[in-house]
Amino acid sequence: MEAPPLREEEGEEGDGNEAGPEGALGKSPSQLTAEDVYDISYVMGRELMALGSDPRVTQLQFKIVRVLEMLEALVNEGSLEAEELRMERDSLRQEVQALRGGGAPAAGEVNLGPDKMVVDLTDPNRPRFTLQELRDVLQERNKLKAQLLVAQEELQCYKSGLIPPREGLEGRRQNDALVAGAGNASANKEEKTIIKKLFFFRSGKQT
Amino acid sequence: MAKKTYDLLFKLLLIGDSGVGKTCVLFRFSDDAFNTTFISTIGIDFKIKTVELQGKKIKLQIWDTAGQERFHTITTSYYRGAMGIMLVYDITNGKSFENISKWLRNIDEHANEDVERMLLGNKCDMDDKRVVPKGKGEQIAREHGIRFFETSAKANINIEKAFLTLAEDILRKTPVKEPNSENLDISSGGGVTGWKSKCC
Repeated sequence: MEAPPLREEEGEEGDGNEAGPEGALGKSPSQLTAEDVYDISYVMGRELMALGSDPRVTQLQFKIVRVLEMLEALVNEGSLEAEELRMERDSLRQEVQALRGGGAPAAGEVNLGPDKMVVDLTDPNRPRFTLQELRDVLQERNKLKAQLLVAQEELQCYKSGLIPPREGLEGRRQNDALVAGAGNASANKEEKTIIKKLFFFRSGKQT
Repeated sequence: MAKKTYDLLFKLLLIGDSGVGKTCVLFRFSDDAFNTTFISTIGIDFKIKTVELQGKKIKLQIWDTAGQERFHTITTSYYRGAMGIMLVYDITNGKSFENISKWLRNIDEHANEDVERMLLGNKCDMDDKRVVPKGKGEQIAREHGIRFFETSAKANINIEKAFLTLAEDILRKTPVKEPNSENLDISSGGGVTGWKSKCC
Protein backbone atom coordinates (compact mmCIF):
# COMPACT_ATOMS: atom_id res chain seq x y z
CA MET A 1 0.00 0.00 0.00
CA GLU A 2 2.95 2.28 0.45
CA ALA A 3 4.09 1.43 -3.02
CA PRO A 4 2.56 4.32 -5.00
CA PRO A 5 4.25 7.19 -3.11
CA LEU A 6 7.53 5.25 -3.21
CA ARG A 7 7.21 4.82 -6.92
CA GLU A 8 6.73 8.55 -7.35
CA GLU A 9 9.99 9.17 -5.47
CA GLU A 10 11.89 6.63 -7.50
CA GLY A 11 10.57 7.77 -10.86
CA GLU A 12 9.89 5.67 -13.94
CA GLU A 13 13.00 3.55 -14.02
CA GLY A 14 11.94 1.33 -11.14
CA ASP A 15 10.72 -1.61 -13.26
CA GLY A 16 13.52 -3.99 -14.00
CA ASN A 17 16.52 -5.39 -12.21
CA GLU A 18 18.78 -3.16 -14.22
CA ALA A 19 17.61 -0.31 -11.96
CA GLY A 20 19.92 -1.72 -9.28
CA PRO A 21 19.12 -2.17 -5.62
CA GLU A 22 16.92 0.96 -5.62
CA GLY A 23 14.62 -0.62 -8.25
CA ALA A 24 13.13 -2.96 -5.65
CA LEU A 25 11.30 -0.02 -4.09
CA GLY A 26 9.45 0.58 -7.36
CA LYS A 27 8.03 -2.91 -7.56
CA SER A 28 4.42 -3.90 -6.99
CA PRO A 29 4.08 -5.60 -3.56
CA SER A 30 2.76 -8.81 -5.11
CA GLN A 31 5.91 -9.12 -7.26
CA LEU A 32 8.32 -8.61 -4.36
CA THR A 33 10.89 -11.36 -3.69
CA ALA A 34 13.18 -11.96 -0.73
CA GLU A 35 16.01 -10.68 -2.93
CA ASP A 36 14.17 -7.36 -3.30
CA VAL A 37 13.78 -7.10 0.48
CA TYR A 38 17.56 -7.48 0.83
CA ASP A 39 18.07 -4.75 -1.77
CA ILE A 40 15.75 -2.46 0.16
CA SER A 41 17.63 -3.21 3.42
CA TYR A 42 20.88 -2.30 1.70
CA VAL A 43 19.53 1.02 0.43
CA MET A 44 17.94 1.99 3.75
CA GLY A 45 20.99 0.94 5.77
CA ARG A 46 23.18 3.11 3.62
CA GLU A 47 20.90 6.14 4.07
CA LEU A 48 20.64 5.63 7.84
CA MET A 49 24.41 5.52 8.11
CA ALA A 50 24.60 8.80 6.25
CA LEU A 51 22.44 10.34 8.98
CA GLY A 52 25.29 9.85 11.46
CA SER A 53 25.37 8.18 14.89
CA ASP A 54 22.57 9.98 16.64
CA PRO A 55 21.11 7.56 19.30
CA ARG A 56 17.60 8.26 17.93
CA VAL A 57 18.76 7.07 14.54
CA THR A 58 20.14 3.90 16.12
CA GLN A 59 16.82 3.30 17.85
CA LEU A 60 14.97 3.77 14.57
CA GLN A 61 17.44 1.42 12.87
CA PHE A 62 16.47 -1.51 15.14
CA LYS A 63 12.82 -0.98 14.36
CA ILE A 64 13.48 -0.73 10.65
CA VAL A 65 15.47 -3.97 10.69
CA ARG A 66 12.63 -5.69 12.52
CA VAL A 67 10.09 -4.42 9.97
CA LEU A 68 12.30 -5.62 7.11
CA GLU A 69 12.60 -9.07 8.72
CA MET A 70 8.82 -9.25 8.96
CA LEU A 71 8.55 -8.22 5.32
CA GLU A 72 11.05 -10.91 4.34
CA ALA A 73 9.00 -13.60 6.13
CA LEU A 74 5.79 -12.43 4.46
CA VAL A 75 7.38 -12.36 1.02
CA ASN A 76 8.77 -15.88 1.47
CA GLU A 77 5.42 -17.20 2.62
CA GLY A 78 3.65 -15.51 -0.26
CA SER A 79 5.97 -16.94 -2.88
CA LEU A 80 5.56 -20.44 -1.42
CA GLU A 81 1.79 -20.13 -1.60
CA ALA A 82 1.99 -18.83 -5.16
CA GLU A 83 4.10 -21.82 -6.13
CA GLU A 84 1.59 -24.24 -4.58
CA LEU A 85 -1.30 -22.55 -6.41
CA ARG A 86 0.60 -22.73 -9.68
CA MET A 87 1.12 -26.46 -9.25
CA GLU A 88 -2.53 -27.00 -8.40
CA ARG A 89 -3.60 -24.99 -11.44
CA ASP A 90 -1.36 -27.04 -13.71
CA SER A 91 -2.70 -30.35 -12.46
CA LEU A 92 -6.32 -29.13 -12.82
CA ARG A 93 -5.54 -28.03 -16.35
CA GLN A 94 -4.25 -31.50 -17.15
CA GLU A 95 -7.35 -33.07 -15.65
CA VAL A 96 -9.65 -30.85 -17.74
CA GLN A 97 -7.70 -31.71 -20.86
CA ALA A 98 -7.99 -35.43 -20.16
CA LEU A 99 -11.74 -35.13 -19.58
CA ARG A 100 -12.22 -33.09 -22.75
CA GLY A 101 -10.35 -35.71 -24.74
CA GLY A 102 -13.06 -38.27 -23.90
CA GLY A 103 -11.17 -39.61 -20.91
CA ALA A 104 -9.77 -42.40 -23.01
CA PRO A 105 -6.11 -41.39 -23.02
CA ALA A 106 -6.03 -40.93 -19.23
CA ALA A 107 -3.47 -42.97 -17.37
CA GLY A 108 -4.28 -46.54 -16.35
CA GLU A 109 -7.14 -47.12 -18.78
CA VAL A 110 -7.50 -49.94 -21.26
CA ASN A 111 -6.89 -48.89 -24.81
CA LEU A 112 -10.15 -49.74 -26.61
CA GLY A 113 -10.78 -50.11 -30.30
CA PRO A 114 -12.65 -47.42 -32.25
CA ASP A 115 -16.06 -49.15 -31.99
CA LYS A 116 -15.84 -50.13 -28.34
CA MET A 117 -17.39 -48.46 -25.34
CA VAL A 118 -16.88 -48.62 -21.61
CA VAL A 119 -19.88 -49.52 -19.45
CA ASP A 120 -20.08 -48.05 -15.97
CA LEU A 121 -21.37 -50.95 -13.87
CA THR A 122 -22.52 -48.58 -11.13
CA ASP A 123 -24.77 -46.62 -13.49
CA PRO A 124 -28.38 -47.74 -12.91
CA ASN A 125 -29.21 -46.69 -16.48
CA ARG A 126 -26.41 -48.66 -18.12
CA PRO A 127 -27.34 -50.77 -21.14
CA ARG A 128 -28.34 -54.26 -20.03
CA PHE A 129 -30.41 -55.94 -22.74
CA THR A 130 -29.58 -57.10 -26.20
CA LEU A 131 -31.31 -56.03 -29.37
CA GLN A 132 -32.66 -59.56 -29.74
CA GLU A 133 -34.25 -59.37 -26.30
CA LEU A 134 -35.84 -56.05 -27.18
CA ARG A 135 -37.06 -57.46 -30.46
CA ASP A 136 -38.66 -60.42 -28.65
CA VAL A 137 -40.32 -58.24 -26.04
CA LEU A 138 -41.71 -55.90 -28.69
CA GLN A 139 -43.01 -58.80 -30.74
CA GLU A 140 -44.71 -60.29 -27.72
CA ARG A 141 -46.16 -56.92 -26.75
CA ASN A 142 -47.56 -56.40 -30.22
CA LYS A 143 -48.96 -59.92 -30.38
CA LEU A 144 -50.76 -59.43 -27.08
CA LYS A 145 -51.99 -56.03 -28.21
CA ALA A 146 -53.43 -57.59 -31.35
CA GLN A 147 -55.13 -60.29 -29.31
CA LEU A 148 -56.54 -57.68 -26.97
CA LEU A 149 -57.93 -55.73 -29.91
CA VAL A 150 -59.60 -58.83 -31.32
CA ALA A 151 -61.07 -59.64 -27.90
CA GLN A 152 -62.31 -56.06 -27.47
CA GLU A 153 -63.90 -56.14 -30.89
CA GLU A 154 -65.66 -59.38 -30.14
CA LEU A 155 -66.84 -58.09 -26.78
CA GLN A 156 -68.23 -55.05 -28.53
CA CYS A 157 -70.18 -57.32 -30.84
CA TYR A 158 -71.78 -59.07 -27.87
CA LYS A 159 -72.45 -55.82 -26.05
CA SER A 160 -74.14 -54.19 -28.99
CA GLY A 161 -76.29 -57.28 -29.41
CA LEU A 162 -74.99 -57.95 -32.89
CA ILE A 163 -74.65 -61.60 -32.02
CA PRO A 164 -77.00 -63.41 -29.67
CA PRO A 165 -74.77 -65.27 -27.17
CA ARG A 166 -75.84 -68.66 -28.51
CA GLU A 167 -75.09 -67.91 -32.12
CA GLY A 168 -71.87 -66.29 -31.12
CA LEU A 169 -70.63 -69.41 -29.45
CA GLU A 170 -71.38 -71.51 -32.48
CA GLY A 171 -69.94 -68.96 -34.82
CA ARG A 172 -66.84 -68.86 -32.74
CA ARG A 173 -66.51 -72.59 -32.78
CA GLN A 174 -66.78 -72.61 -36.51
CA ASN A 175 -64.22 -69.89 -36.73
CA ASP A 176 -61.87 -71.75 -34.47
CA ALA A 177 -62.24 -74.78 -36.68
CA LEU A 178 -61.43 -72.65 -39.68
CA VAL A 179 -58.29 -71.28 -38.13
CA ALA A 180 -57.13 -74.42 -36.43
CA GLY A 181 -58.20 -76.76 -39.17
CA ALA A 182 -57.35 -79.82 -37.13
CA GLY A 183 -59.71 -79.45 -34.20
CA ASN A 184 -62.74 -80.89 -36.02
CA ALA A 185 -63.09 -84.18 -34.20
CA SER A 186 -63.59 -82.58 -30.85
CA ALA A 187 -65.65 -79.72 -32.29
CA ASN A 188 -68.29 -82.12 -33.58
CA LYS A 189 -68.80 -83.56 -30.16
CA GLU A 190 -69.21 -80.18 -28.53
CA GLU A 191 -72.92 -79.68 -28.48
CA LYS A 192 -73.00 -78.79 -24.79
CA THR A 193 -73.00 -75.26 -23.53
CA ILE A 194 -70.44 -74.18 -20.97
CA ILE A 195 -73.07 -74.43 -18.24
CA LYS A 196 -73.85 -77.97 -19.27
CA LYS A 197 -70.20 -78.87 -19.37
CA LEU A 198 -69.71 -77.53 -15.91
CA PHE A 199 -72.84 -79.25 -14.71
CA PHE A 200 -71.76 -82.62 -16.05
CA PHE A 201 -68.32 -82.15 -14.67
CA ARG A 202 -69.79 -81.60 -11.23
CA SER A 203 -72.30 -84.41 -11.30
CA GLY A 204 -69.61 -86.70 -12.64
CA LYS A 205 -67.44 -85.83 -9.71
CA GLN A 206 -70.19 -86.54 -7.24
CA THR A 207 -71.01 -89.98 -8.49
CA MET B 1 -71.39 -66.08 -39.81
CA ALA B 2 -73.77 -63.20 -39.63
CA LYS B 3 -71.64 -60.14 -40.30
CA LYS B 4 -68.06 -59.33 -41.20
CA THR B 5 -65.94 -56.94 -39.16
CA TYR B 6 -63.92 -56.17 -42.23
CA ASP B 7 -63.38 -57.24 -45.82
CA LEU B 8 -59.71 -56.47 -46.26
CA LEU B 9 -56.66 -56.02 -44.10
CA PHE B 10 -54.01 -53.55 -45.20
CA LYS B 11 -50.67 -53.26 -43.47
CA LEU B 12 -49.16 -49.79 -43.52
CA LEU B 13 -45.84 -48.55 -42.17
CA LEU B 14 -44.68 -45.13 -41.02
CA ILE B 15 -41.00 -44.27 -41.40
CA GLY B 16 -38.85 -41.14 -41.21
CA ASP B 17 -36.39 -39.34 -38.94
CA SER B 18 -36.87 -39.24 -35.20
CA GLY B 19 -39.12 -36.40 -34.05
CA VAL B 20 -40.85 -35.64 -37.37
CA GLY B 21 -44.21 -36.65 -35.89
CA LYS B 22 -44.89 -40.19 -37.14
CA THR B 23 -46.54 -41.25 -33.88
CA CYS B 24 -48.56 -38.01 -33.74
CA VAL B 25 -49.74 -38.46 -37.34
CA LEU B 26 -50.91 -41.97 -36.46
CA PHE B 27 -52.44 -40.90 -33.16
CA ARG B 28 -54.42 -38.18 -34.93
CA PHE B 29 -55.71 -40.68 -37.46
CA SER B 30 -56.52 -43.50 -35.03
CA ASP B 31 -57.73 -41.56 -31.98
CA ASP B 32 -58.34 -38.07 -33.41
CA ALA B 33 -56.13 -36.63 -30.67
CA PHE B 34 -52.83 -34.81 -30.33
CA ASN B 35 -50.21 -34.67 -27.61
CA THR B 36 -47.33 -32.18 -27.55
CA THR B 37 -45.04 -34.19 -25.27
CA PHE B 38 -42.31 -35.94 -27.21
CA ILE B 39 -41.94 -39.59 -26.30
CA SER B 40 -39.57 -41.44 -28.55
CA THR B 41 -41.10 -44.66 -29.88
CA ILE B 42 -39.34 -47.76 -28.63
CA GLY B 43 -38.65 -49.96 -31.63
CA ILE B 44 -42.04 -50.58 -33.15
CA ASP B 45 -45.69 -50.14 -32.26
CA PHE B 46 -48.97 -50.39 -34.14
CA LYS B 47 -52.53 -49.18 -34.20
CA ILE B 48 -55.65 -50.46 -35.90
CA LYS B 49 -58.29 -48.41 -37.66
CA THR B 50 -61.11 -49.68 -39.82
CA VAL B 51 -62.23 -47.48 -42.69
CA GLU B 52 -64.81 -47.90 -45.41
CA LEU B 53 -63.78 -47.46 -49.04
CA GLN B 54 -65.87 -48.26 -52.11
CA GLY B 55 -68.32 -50.16 -49.97
CA LYS B 56 -65.61 -52.30 -48.43
CA LYS B 57 -64.60 -52.35 -44.81
CA ILE B 58 -60.87 -52.13 -44.71
CA LYS B 59 -58.93 -52.78 -41.57
CA LEU B 60 -55.74 -50.76 -41.51
CA GLN B 61 -53.00 -52.18 -39.37
CA ILE B 62 -50.58 -49.28 -39.14
CA TRP B 63 -47.07 -49.89 -37.91
CA ASP B 64 -45.26 -46.99 -36.28
CA THR B 65 -41.49 -47.26 -36.29
CA ALA B 66 -38.84 -45.60 -34.14
CA GLY B 67 -36.88 -43.06 -36.19
CA GLN B 68 -33.77 -43.41 -34.08
CA GLU B 69 -30.82 -45.09 -35.73
CA ARG B 70 -30.31 -47.53 -32.84
CA PHE B 71 -33.64 -49.25 -33.62
CA HIS B 72 -33.05 -49.64 -37.35
CA THR B 73 -32.25 -53.34 -37.33
CA ILE B 74 -35.57 -53.95 -35.58
CA THR B 75 -37.66 -51.59 -37.69
CA THR B 76 -36.32 -52.63 -41.07
CA SER B 77 -37.54 -56.18 -40.49
CA TYR B 78 -41.09 -54.81 -40.56
CA TYR B 79 -40.77 -53.29 -44.04
CA ARG B 80 -41.34 -56.61 -45.76
CA GLY B 81 -44.93 -57.05 -44.61
CA ALA B 82 -46.02 -53.53 -45.49
CA MET B 83 -48.36 -52.87 -48.40
CA GLY B 84 -48.09 -49.12 -48.01
CA ILE B 85 -45.30 -46.99 -46.56
CA MET B 86 -45.63 -43.39 -45.43
CA LEU B 87 -42.33 -41.55 -45.38
CA VAL B 88 -42.61 -38.56 -43.07
CA TYR B 89 -40.36 -35.50 -42.79
CA ASP B 90 -40.70 -32.30 -40.81
CA ILE B 91 -41.02 -29.06 -42.82
CA THR B 92 -39.21 -27.21 -39.99
CA ASN B 93 -36.27 -29.64 -40.03
CA GLY B 94 -34.04 -29.53 -43.11
CA LYS B 95 -32.07 -32.60 -42.05
CA SER B 96 -35.22 -34.73 -41.98
CA PHE B 97 -35.88 -33.66 -45.57
CA GLU B 98 -32.31 -34.39 -46.69
CA ASN B 99 -32.65 -37.88 -45.23
CA ILE B 100 -35.59 -38.74 -47.50
CA SER B 101 -33.25 -40.32 -50.04
CA LYS B 102 -31.80 -42.49 -47.29
CA TRP B 103 -35.29 -43.66 -46.27
CA LEU B 104 -36.23 -44.32 -49.90
CA ARG B 105 -33.11 -46.45 -50.21
CA ASN B 106 -34.21 -48.37 -47.12
CA ILE B 107 -37.56 -49.04 -48.77
CA ASP B 108 -35.81 -50.30 -51.91
CA GLU B 109 -33.65 -52.60 -49.83
CA HIS B 110 -36.17 -53.99 -47.37
CA ALA B 111 -39.73 -53.60 -48.64
CA ASN B 112 -41.75 -55.45 -51.25
CA GLU B 113 -41.18 -54.22 -54.76
CA ASP B 114 -44.82 -53.29 -55.32
CA VAL B 115 -45.20 -51.42 -52.04
CA GLU B 116 -47.27 -48.23 -52.31
CA ARG B 117 -45.23 -45.24 -51.14
CA MET B 118 -46.29 -41.79 -49.99
CA LEU B 119 -44.35 -38.71 -48.83
CA LEU B 120 -45.66 -36.52 -46.00
CA GLY B 121 -44.27 -33.11 -44.99
CA ASN B 122 -45.56 -32.86 -41.43
CA LYS B 123 -45.93 -29.87 -39.06
CA CYS B 124 -47.26 -27.64 -41.85
CA ASP B 125 -49.08 -25.58 -39.20
CA MET B 126 -45.68 -24.14 -38.18
CA ASP B 127 -45.23 -21.97 -41.24
CA ASP B 128 -43.14 -19.40 -39.34
CA LYS B 129 -40.51 -22.07 -38.71
CA ARG B 130 -40.65 -23.65 -42.15
CA VAL B 131 -37.30 -24.39 -43.81
CA VAL B 132 -38.49 -26.82 -46.50
CA PRO B 133 -40.64 -25.12 -49.17
CA LYS B 134 -43.69 -27.06 -50.28
CA GLY B 135 -42.34 -27.06 -53.82
CA LYS B 136 -39.26 -29.04 -52.78
CA GLY B 137 -41.44 -31.74 -51.28
CA GLU B 138 -43.57 -31.85 -54.40
CA GLN B 139 -40.49 -32.04 -56.58
CA ILE B 140 -38.85 -34.96 -54.82
CA ALA B 141 -42.18 -36.80 -54.76
CA ARG B 142 -42.58 -36.24 -58.49
CA GLU B 143 -39.04 -37.48 -59.14
CA HIS B 144 -39.87 -40.74 -57.39
CA GLY B 145 -43.38 -41.01 -58.74
CA ILE B 146 -45.06 -41.00 -55.37
CA ARG B 147 -47.88 -39.03 -53.80
CA PHE B 148 -47.20 -36.08 -51.52
CA PHE B 149 -49.15 -34.25 -48.85
CA GLU B 150 -48.25 -31.56 -46.39
CA THR B 151 -49.85 -32.53 -43.11
CA SER B 152 -50.31 -31.32 -39.58
CA ALA B 153 -51.14 -33.79 -36.85
CA LYS B 154 -51.59 -30.87 -34.48
CA ALA B 155 -53.99 -28.86 -36.65
CA ASN B 156 -55.50 -32.00 -38.21
CA ILE B 157 -54.60 -31.08 -41.78
CA ASN B 158 -54.63 -33.77 -44.49
CA ILE B 159 -54.12 -36.62 -42.02
CA GLU B 160 -57.22 -38.60 -42.86
CA LYS B 161 -56.88 -37.70 -46.52
CA ALA B 162 -53.35 -39.12 -46.63
CA PHE B 163 -54.29 -42.43 -45.03
CA LEU B 164 -57.42 -42.85 -47.12
CA THR B 165 -55.58 -42.01 -50.33
CA LEU B 166 -52.89 -44.56 -49.54
CA ALA B 167 -55.53 -47.17 -48.71
CA GLU B 168 -57.35 -46.39 -51.98
CA ASP B 169 -54.15 -46.77 -53.96
CA ILE B 170 -53.57 -50.17 -52.39
CA LEU B 171 -57.19 -51.17 -52.91
CA ARG B 172 -56.95 -50.28 -56.60
CA LYS B 173 -54.22 -52.81 -57.19
CA THR B 174 -55.57 -55.47 -54.85
CA PRO B 175 -56.81 -58.42 -56.88
CA VAL B 176 -60.32 -59.49 -55.97
CA LYS B 177 -60.03 -62.87 -54.36
CA GLU B 178 -62.46 -65.39 -53.02
CA PRO B 179 -63.13 -65.20 -49.31
CA ASN B 180 -60.48 -66.81 -47.25
CA SER B 181 -59.80 -67.32 -43.57
CA GLU B 182 -58.61 -64.52 -41.37
CA ASN B 183 -54.97 -63.86 -41.04
CA LEU B 184 -54.04 -61.15 -38.62
CA ASP B 185 -50.37 -61.90 -38.73
CA ILE B 186 -48.52 -59.87 -36.19
CA SER B 187 -45.02 -61.17 -36.70
CA SER B 188 -42.56 -59.33 -38.84
CA GLY B 189 -42.36 -60.27 -42.46
CA GLY B 190 -44.95 -62.03 -44.54
CA GLY B 191 -47.38 -59.66 -46.22
CA VAL B 192 -51.00 -60.25 -45.45
CA THR B 193 -53.96 -59.48 -47.66
CA GLY B 194 -56.68 -61.62 -46.28
CA TRP B 195 -60.28 -61.62 -47.30
CA LYS B 196 -61.94 -62.29 -44.07
CA SER B 197 -65.26 -63.86 -43.39
CA LYS B 198 -66.00 -64.22 -39.77
CA CYS B 199 -68.83 -64.10 -37.34
CA CYS B 200 -70.19 -60.78 -36.01
